[in-house]
Amino acid sequence: MEAIKHIINTVLKNNGKKEVQTINEETLLRDDLGFDSFELAELTVRIEAQFDVDIFEEGLITKVGEILDKVNQE
Amino acid sequence: MDLFYADKSINQEISWAALLEDLNKTSVYNTYCYKAEFYEIFKHIIQSLLLNEELIVLDNDFSETELYNILGDVDLDTYTRPLNKHQVLKITSKEELLKRITAVNKNWKITLFTSGTTGLPKKVSHSFKSITRFVKYNNDTQVNWGFAFNPTHMAGLQVFFQALLNGNSLFRLFGIEKQLILSKISEYSITNISATPTFYRMLLPLDAVYDSVKRLTFGGEKFDKNIWGQLKKSFPNAKFNNIYASTEVGSLLVSSGDVFSIKPELNSLVKIVDNELIIHNSLLGEIDRSDSDWYHTNDLVEVINDNTNQFRFVSRKNEMINVGGYKVNPYEVEQVVLDIKGINQVRIYTKSNSILGNIICCEIVSENKNLTESDIRKILRSKLQEYKIPRFITFVNEIAMTRTGKIKRH
Repeated sequence: MEAIKHIINTVLKNNGKKEVQTINEETLLRDDLGFDSFELAELTVRIEAQFDVDIFEEGLITKVGEILDKVNQE
Repeated sequence: MDLFYADKSINQEISWAALLEDLNKTSVYNTYCYKAEFYEIFKHIIQSLLLNEELIVLDNDFSETELYNILGDVDLDTYTRPLNKHQVLKITSKEELLKRITAVNKNWKITLFTSGTTGLPKKVSHSFKSITRFVKYNNDTQVNWGFAFNPTHMAGLQVFFQALLNGNSLFRLFGIEKQLILSKISEYSITNISATPTFYRMLLPLDAVYDSVKRLTFGGEKFDKNIWGQLKKSFPNAKFNNIYASTEVGSLLVSSGDVFSIKPELNSLVKIVDNELIIHNSLLGEIDRSDSDWYHTNDLVEVINDNTNQFRFVSRKNEMINVGGYKVNPYEVEQVVLDIKGINQVRIYTKSNSILGNIICCEIVSENKNLTESDIRKILRSKLQEYKIPRFITFVNEIAMTRTGKIKRH
């Protein structure tokens, strides 16, 4: 979870947005974190670079918990 | 109320009557349209048509550097001038408005900018005839368009003219949140949406049914079969279209899947030579070009059936990168990154991406060891349009080259 939070905060920071203190499995990527298509794309590249898994390969996911599932499957 | 345009994200609803009132108040005109609000852009286009004045549309997120590079000037307000007495508008009805728009003089032109191959955005001008060539007149005012493109780009202008000339209503779906988009589709009974695969991808997953939608059009990016399948369940009454268009030509080809064919009437004007789609100059807007009669699209195709002229788009011949429907020139981005102090070498390359199709990445050789990725991103945000910004930057000791000494792009 810490690694995912770090990546999320990197994306937020890179896009001039405020970093988050806490996230949990229910945190919504678009509605809670405000990610647009460019930021979601950036998130996928960063997760792929670190965990070698394309989280959106089988369709769009919406929650942090779903990222954890994908990363843990590997 | 007979709506002309609505943007729920800023609680804006403009009826055709309110549009007429606004148009009749016009007292000044500026050739340059550099505005954020979609309604203001649409109104400006209509004003230019009614006054028969040239219009140059600029992306509102062009930075001062970009504006200066394109126009040689950044202070565009100084071009505002009062109208002559005989130019004052007195339009009494929607019908009169539409009639006057279609009676526009031959000299009217609209100019927009597209990513050029030389590094600078390229100027493309269209006459009324060339920008409205593919508008279909349907006499059906019950059509409500979901507006899902940038209004200063070709695709947005095509949707705008399609709606305007038929007296249809436009509802903004571009650049707003998924939930708001979905609630507006139902609330306004939107019947037609034209958007990039990236736009539709961002709507997924969908759990409700939107039966008001009669047509979904895809364009700007490579066809994506997966999305069609997923959208069909939520849009049971929609017909699906895939469109091939470019800033130079406008919408040119329509298909119900990924296989296109050239209509008989275009047979002598659109050809495939060495697997590249080429288009006769008579179909183009006004662009700086060589003396050749044919325009090379750089879009490579695979011919499926020679007799029926059926083909599929495969890839691009040049190095332009398609990011969610926007074309990006890697050289332009490279130059801007190189201008940052302390950066010695840059490689812009692309990675395929399940959200945007492609994503721009960047490798940097820097002599300033304190320079961080977020520092660079901050600088780039003030110099480049959002879609041109590299989303993944790595610091390296040397830049990878191909065997011929060119920078590797993939």
